[in-house]
Amino acid sequence: MSELERSLIRRLQRRDERAFRELLELHRDRVFNITFRMLGNRAEAEDVAQEVFITVFKTIDSFQEKSKFSTWLYRVAVNHCKNRIKYLARRHDRDRDELDESTTTSGVNGTIGGPMPSSPHKQLESAQMEQRLQHEIGKLEDDQRVVVVLRDVEDLSIEEICEITGLPDGTVKSRLHRARLLLRKRLSSHVGENND
Amino acid sequence: MTEDVEDPVVAKVSDYLDGLLTGAERDDVAAKIQTDETWKRTHDELVEARKYLSGMRKAKAPDTFAHEVEQTIHKRSAGAFFGRRTLGDRVPFGVLLIVALLALAVVGYFMWSSPTGSLKVDKKTTPTEKPSVSAPRP
Repeated sequence: MSELERSLIRRLQRRDERAFRELLELHRDRVFNITFRMLGNRAEAEDVAQEVFITVFKTIDSFQEKSKFSTWLYRVAVNHCKNRIKYLARRHDRDRDELDESTTTSGVNGTIGGPMPSSPHKQLESAQMEQRLQHEIGKLEDDQRVVVVLRDVEDLSIEEICEITGLPDGTVKSRLHRARLLLRKRLSSHVGENND
Repeated sequence: MTEDVEDPVVAKVSDYLDGLLTGAERDDVAAKIQTDETWKRTHDELVEARKYLSGMRKAKAPDTFAHEVEQTIHKRSAGAFFGRRTLGDRVPFGVLLIVALLALAVVGYFMWSSPTGSLKVDKKTTPTEKPSVSAPRP
């Protein structure tokens, strides 16, 4: 952990509101991306991401500087997402695995970052693939979804994922393999359908 | 569910792509990818899937996100945090100090230069120049 981050955490532990704002600015997009990819719905993702930061504000005293702050933060985010998925499943909320329409019209409200392919055809293709992927991620079991989002979408290391999930190395890898296997099969069948 | 059964080829290729294999094991997988059709197909499909996953655009939090978080904390803490911000919260203390000193200097200058100002030194009525009063002779 850098000295700057350590100082920010200490200020936050003294309930310094400015420190909290700085922290929000630093991490909000990444936390939001995790919750969005985990839940597949913008409104739910926003609500959960807010709860993540409220939890951070309330429980920052329990953060021990043994691990990186981001690891602790992502653990809070993952736990909130899992709870929300369970809650939504209990409510039989069918919207939970539907891709939010704003993903495909992201350029309009500017809430999806990153460059879009230049030609309209490529843009459409890319948006469709992203929609398809999000749909398939949403169909994975929670535990598989967590590892695939953290590893393949967020590009975290296996070691970090073990720390975040509290799972041993072997379990993380095996869940990742299963998730990729499922995604591979489902995506290749989708590509096959499109080519027919 | 046959889908849940772990495929050893996928497991190995996955580890290979994640850079988790070392030495001979890595070379062995690399050789199989080159020579074996199943391994090659698995490799290509996983590379493709990972490419799509890592290429997913990053969702950004809405602009109002921070404000909403602060407002929620404010409400839940019964106003203890993120209340209406005072001037000291919005403007750094150093800036406030400089402005205060400048204001003080301006006020001081006007008081000094004013003909009626209390800081004005009136040379005509300085105590050293008091006219000597001679007592009337009886």
